[in-house]
Amino acid sequence: MADMVNVTIDGNEVSVPKGTTILEAAKRVGTEVPHYCYHPGMSSPAMCRLCLVEVEGAPKPMPGCVTTVMDGQVVHTQSDQAIKNRRGVLEFYLVNHPLDCPICDMSGECNLQDYVHAEGREQGRGVEPKRVFGRDDFGGDVLFYGDRCVMCTRCVRFMSEVEQDHRLTVVERGNRSVIDTFFEEGLEGTHWHGNIVDICPVGALVSKDFLHKARAWDLAHTPSICDCSQGCNISLHTRDNLVQRIKPRENLDVNAWWLSDACRMDYEWMNRGDRIEAPLIRSNGGSKVLGWKDALQSILKAAEGSDASVKAVASARASNEDLAAFKRLIKGLGGGEIVYRSPRIEKDIPLKGFPQLAVRRDRAPNTTGANVMGMTRVGDDSATGGLEDIAQHDGIVLVLGDTLEDQPTTFGADAELYVYVGQHESAATASAHFILPATTKAESEGTFTNYEGRVQRFWRALDPPGMARPPWLVLGALAAELGCGEAVRSAEDSFAAMGVDAFAGITYADIGERGTVINEIVHMTGV
Amino acid sequence: MAYPYVSDHEVRVLSKHFGDPSHRRIDTYVERGGYKALKKAFEMGPAQVIDEVKGSGLRGRGGAGFPTGVKWSFMPQDSGKPHYLLCNADESEPGTFKDRELIRWNPHQLIEGCLIGAYAIGAKHAYIYCRGEFFEANSILARAVEDAYEGGYAGKDILGSGNDIEITVHQGAGAYICGEETGLMNSLEGRRGQPRVKPPFPAAVGAFGMPSTINNVETLAAVPHIVDNGGDWYRQFGTEKSPGTKLFCVSGHVNKPGNYELPLGFPLMKLIEEVCGGIRDGNALKAVIPGGSSVPIINAEESSRCNLDYEGCEEVGTMLGCASVIVMDEKADIVKQVRRMVDFYAHESCGQCTPCREGSSWTAQILKRIEYGRGTEEDLNTLMEMTQQMVGTTICVLSDSVAAPVQSSIEKFREDYLSLIRRDEQVGAA
Amino acid sequence: MSDIPFKNPGWAGNTGEFDLSEEEVRGEDFVGTRPVHGGHASGAGTMPYMLAKKDPEGVLFEGEYRERLDKILSRYPTGQAALLPALGLCQEIRGYVSPESMDAVAEVLDLSPAYVRGVATFYTMYNKRPVGKHLVQVCTNISCNLVGADEVVDAFLTYTDTELGQTSEDGNFTVIEAECLAACGFPTCVQINSRYFENVTPAEVPKICEHLKSERE
Repeated sequence: MADMVNVTIDGNEVSVPKGTTILEAAKRVGTEVPHYCYHPGMSSPAMCRLCLVEVEGAPKPMPGCVTTVMDGQVVHTQSDQAIKNRRGVLEFYLVNHPLDCPICDMSGECNLQDYVHAEGREQGRGVEPKRVFGRDDFGGDVLFYGDRCVMCTRCVRFMSEVEQDHRLTVVERGNRSVIDTFFEEGLEGTHWHGNIVDICPVGALVSKDFLHKARAWDLAHTPSICDCSQGCNISLHTRDNLVQRIKPRENLDVNAWWLSDACRMDYEWMNRGDRIEAPLIRSNGGSKVLGWKDALQSILKAAEGSDASVKAVASARASNEDLAAFKRLIKGLGGGEIVYRSPRIEKDIPLKGFPQLAVRRDRAPNTTGANVMGMTRVGDDSATGGLEDIAQHDGIVLVLGDTLEDQPTTFGADAELYVYVGQHESAATASAHFILPATTKAESEGTFTNYEGRVQRFWRALDPPGMARPPWLVLGALAAELGCGEAVRSAEDSFAAMGVDAFAGITYADIGERGTVINEIVHMTGV
Repeated sequence: MAYPYVSDHEVRVLSKHFGDPSHRRIDTYVERGGYKALKKAFEMGPAQVIDEVKGSGLRGRGGAGFPTGVKWSFMPQDSGKPHYLLCNADESEPGTFKDRELIRWNPHQLIEGCLIGAYAIGAKHAYIYCRGEFFEANSILARAVEDAYEGGYAGKDILGSGNDIEITVHQGAGAYICGEETGLMNSLEGRRGQPRVKPPFPAAVGAFGMPSTINNVETLAAVPHIVDNGGDWYRQFGTEKSPGTKLFCVSGHVNKPGNYELPLGFPLMKLIEEVCGGIRDGNALKAVIPGGSSVPIINAEESSRCNLDYEGCEEVGTMLGCASVIVMDEKADIVKQVRRMVDFYAHESCGQCTPCREGSSWTAQILKRIEYGRGTEEDLNTLMEMTQQMVGTTICVLSDSVAAPVQSSIEKFREDYLSLIRRDEQVGAA
Repeated sequence: MSDIPFKNPGWAGNTGEFDLSEEEVRGEDFVGTRPVHGGHASGAGTMPYMLAKKDPEGVLFEGEYRERLDKILSRYPTGQAALLPALGLCQEIRGYVSPESMDAVAEVLDLSPAYVRGVATFYTMYNKRPVGKHLVQVCTNISCNLVGADEVVDAFLTYTDTELGQTSEDGNFTVIEAECLAACGFPTCVQINSRYFENVTPAEVPKICEHLKSERE
């Protein structure tokens, strides 16, 4: 058990473990001490001098990010002296700052704006010409606007301590110091450099992908989960019903504060416009639009009395709820084998400074969920092939989510009943008797199970197109009609009704925003 | 005698053999009693050596004035980690030129001091971080260290005592900030020479993460004499709180600039008039910076009351620092000199802390504008307020050093600034 | 500007009450010729690295230079500590620290090139661009400034017919201002390559430059 130490911060007494810094202790009483260079995931150089606080008995102001609390200490973060210090430091920051907020991407989520607005001088008094560094392309997704830089060196420390590929450095010294790479080398070949845009407190490091795309205050933030089996906690930033960018959410058990470049850049698929928007029935060589009730009833009618065997293709991009409902439907139709395909890269690429986070081999969010529910992975590492049996099956063919892009137009042509539930049509859906529009993870609630068996929730960020519905809703309704499980109306109830042992006893409340590990941690190695 | 002039007021301890090239040779040095103190120290044992130095009252000669014996006693006793002694020969403070003379005329005195210091703090390796521009001094020192190794005074089993102490001369590369103790350690480790946050202090985490002590060249050069003659002998010079002799580096508008070794407490005016032959051309004294460019400037009236020791300088509102006396006469352009000093700090700032990085160059820009006659009185208020924000808010005291000349010159020589602001003729010629 | 009472040739250091030759003041007879492999390991990292002779394509860490680097590495607990002496070695051979040199140092010390760049650009003495045969560094800090350092700079610029920070057309001289060189008792102090020239007045500048031009490598 750690020794506890009592300290008073702005009149509030708090008891913290020995070795806690003043800044962390202040957080516990709800005081956010302004700072730039400190970041909990990296070393603290105490060089921005913004977090200086007044400590009774100390001869000079102490930096809150590195000063550990001592028993009986009395700290003031809002005293005249502390406020004056911050005002002074902020004035120094603005002496050479270009004040180009109107063209800076960071505007609206910028620490410099916020701090100066709260505690800075109303009027600057620097009349000297400002030093100019200009714009530098660091390679990868990163642009560097040197004039805006506050020299907190978080980016340098991230690359050298967390990614452990020391690509950035401070060049020159004094007022001429600036962040740079090794001449033309840049950031190519690194896997985590997108994080330096997140941790930059000002608009010095910006994402090329997001450059001048949308204003920060127009964006809605929705918590979600990323698309590889790491299950990084992310936040979808949306505007105009499109995902504008992805940012990581803090979760010390999964991804700390970080996100890989591969996951960060993979959001355009959620914005695709070529979606199936209404339930379709094949008729007279073409297809006809049906309402949901008619569509579902037609399917039930087509399947009635049939004793044909079922072969099904699921997707590792579907949520636990979707997959469980799919399984229940197949059980109601007499049972059958369910396979899925998912892309893989050669091997995991761990983040050296936080190795439990990696660019996972499995490039789909719910391979573990699918495996736990007894589904089998087929096909190769580019998620092609493996469906030869199903393509020629003459019984019931059910497909959930897999776009079947590599499959021929004859896929399912011999099937007695071929139902395709997904987001996009392709050549292989030409023979489908029924095509049902499904939502993506961005358009519904649900859960994924990550590589270590952690169940995590994602929330709805976009409105689904047309009449698209979550698969757990429509498949669950079909399954209920066939006597398997109940027809539920909410994702939470659907989760509770999954009927899979591994998830028994867990509720959405247990999962919360941090996730929880399931009863049976199934490690699927090799295959 | 100091160099290049001799004065009868001098007390010849460290500078006895300045100007004598033969003293660099180890045989000459040993003949004249060299390395006796080292042998004596081995007999005394580390604890007693530290006590002797403590008793002598020797204070750090690099500017901080911290009692050396006390600093040595901060080293941990049973850490199990290797200790290092670092000699700070990165002399870059404007106005200071004593360490270069100590190294180039009497290298073995310094080497012996390093060996005794290393022995006292339990270090097996002493690094002498010598400034990059001192190519000639570095070569002399390297050669002298080689001779010391050959003579068995350094390396393994020194003089059969069983003690191993290595010495390495490490050359710098041109950065004033590497004269700061933790900046020096970072530079020694092959990093950017940026000062570290304290705590942890060097005695706990120093060079290479190990307990280290760092001392100035002049401090270590005094150690053999103290060990040889005893701490009480050293106390016969100087004052009670500032015992011993000091090499005063006098420069500027005096007739005989140079190094003079005098007892601490020597009156400033006596130094200027009697030892240095007075001010050039018989001009009147205007200002003196008694301790290198980082201490406040004092005017003629304060100089007349100033005794050159740590306490005496504090009494007139300045600091002794490294005792580099820069003398300015009535023809000196104070604003230009302050601007030049602030330019120096802006150039040498390491750039870590915001107040120093931005504030030093901003101050230099304002002063330049005033110097060229485009300043306003509001600028003086800005300077006073803004430099006050640079005091006590940074990792090291370079930031405070910017504030010292600016604030003291505005307070005491406000007329010089105002006349430029009013676009009068420039006050001085140089 | 008033006359300083001591008159002397800038490189002899004959000042005040001492009568010494240039070799005695510089210690050249004491030091002798330093071997390329660095001599004793304790001083292997202190070879002069601002020389008139420069070979921009010179091979770096081979032969006796490699021997010297190994000696330097043996003096420190970490390889990284040899970074400053290694950069000095590059400049000793090639005259300046180029990106290729930084890459070579990074490789031999197992550091990242960006890190080496960060360290090399921190220090003033590593030339980032090629310089003239003689790098003239005039101290213009306060002690020298008080007695006319600016005039000495102007004298050098006039004599070498170049701008501050630029190299003269014949490639012989680059003139820059330097910070305090720690020879304040002998103003104005000028460092040319690895040597100090003290008590320099504008009148002596032509003599010094001629002396340099006539020196053999």
